[in-house]
Amino acid sequence: MMRRVVLAAALMAGALFAQPPNPTNGRKLFTRFGCYQCHQREAQGAAATGPRLGPHPIPFARFTRYVRQPTGQMPPYTIKVVKDAELADIYAFLESLPDPPAVKDIPLLNQ
Amino acid sequence: MDIAIAADAEATLPALTEAVKRLLTADRKRAFADRGAKLAAAHQKAVEAARVEATYGWDASPISTARLAMELWGQIKNKDWSLVSGGGGWPSRLWAFDKHHQHIGSSGGAGVGYGAPASLGAALANRKYGRLSVSIQNDGDLMYAPGVLWTAAHHKIPLLSVMHNNRAYHQEVMHIQRLANRHQRGIENAGIGTTLVDPNIDYATVARGMGVHAEGPILEAKNLGPAIGRALEVVSKGEPALVDVVTQPR
Repeated sequence: MMRRVVLAAALMAGALFAQPPNPTNGRKLFTRFGCYQCHQREAQGAAATGPRLGPHPIPFARFTRYVRQPTGQMPPYTIKVVKDAELADIYAFLESLPDPPAVKDIPLLNQ
Repeated sequence: MDIAIAADAEATLPALTEAVKRLLTADRKRAFADRGAKLAAAHQKAVEAARVEATYGWDASPISTARLAMELWGQIKNKDWSLVSGGGGWPSRLWAFDKHHQHIGSSGGAGVGYGAPASLGAALANRKYGRLSVSIQNDGDLMYAPGVLWTAAHHKIPLLSVMHNNRAYHQEVMHIQRLANRHQRGIENAGIGTTLVDPNIDYATVARGMGVHAEGPILEAKNLGPAIGRALEVVSKGEPALVDVVTQPR
C-alpha cells in the first residue's frame, strides 16, 4: 500500500513539474550547443556542412538517436552535454519553424 | 621522345576542339548527344532542387548565403562578369557559368587568406577587358591581408567585394566543436580564437579608411539589393567597392 502511495505521489509530481517542450528555449539551445554552425540559424542547412533540419523534422525518436550516435562528420552530443529535456526543446523549435515561401513567389529565384 | 613546346591552354583549346570534332564518327556523335541530354536533364533537376533549398531562410537575418548569391546574380547576370573569389556554394548551383573567365577557381587547399589578394589580382587582369569582377569575400579571409583594399583604391582596380561576413573563422569553429563533442566537453570554449566578435568588425569603415566605397554592415535582406546597386555604380566608374553583409554561417 505504502509503495502505491509513493508511486502515485511520484507520478503526480511528474505531471506537475514536467514542462512541455519550449521552442523559444529550443532556439536558444540550438545556438548554445552550436547546432547552427553546420545547420544554420534557421535550421535551413547548408550543402557543404549539414542538412536542413526543419520545418517538419524527422520523428523525435530518430532525431534523438542520431544526435546521440551520429554517423559521418557530425559529432556526438551525449547526455553529459545535452539533456533529454533540452533535446525536446530543440525539437520543438524545429517543429515551430514556418514553411518558406514558394519558389514561384520569389522573383530572384526565377531569373 | 620528349618535345618541349611552349603552349597556352586558352590558345590551344579551340584548335584542339575542332581537331577532335573532325575525327568524330557518327556513332560517337550520337553517344555524345545522348550523354549530353542525360547530363542536361540531371542538371535541370539539380537546379530545381537548389531553388527549393534556397527558399529556406530566404528572409532570415543574418542574411542567408543563398539570398546573398541571388541578390548579386540579379544585378550582374546581364553584364560581362567574372567571379574572382568565393562562391563555391550557391553561385555554382544557381548561376549560369558558360565562359571560362567567369570563375578563377579557389586556393586549392581551402586556404584562408587567399581570397582577397587573389580576387584583386584577377580583377587587375580583367580590367583591360572592361570586365566586371565580383568577389564573395569571406570576413576571416580578409583579416589576413586587409591592405589589398588600399591597393585596390590606389591603383583604381574595379572590384565589387560582397562580404560573406559570418563573424568567424567559421571552418575552425566547426572543427573545434567536432573535437570538443567527441571528448564530451561541450562547446563553451569553441569560440576562443575562432570567432570575430566582441567587438564585431566594421568592414565598411575599414574599407572607407583605405579609400574604398563601402556600405554596411547589412543585416536585413531587403537592404542588400539597393546597396549592391550603388556599389556597382562605383565599380562601373573603374573603382573598387565593398558591401559588408552579415550572413548565416554557411
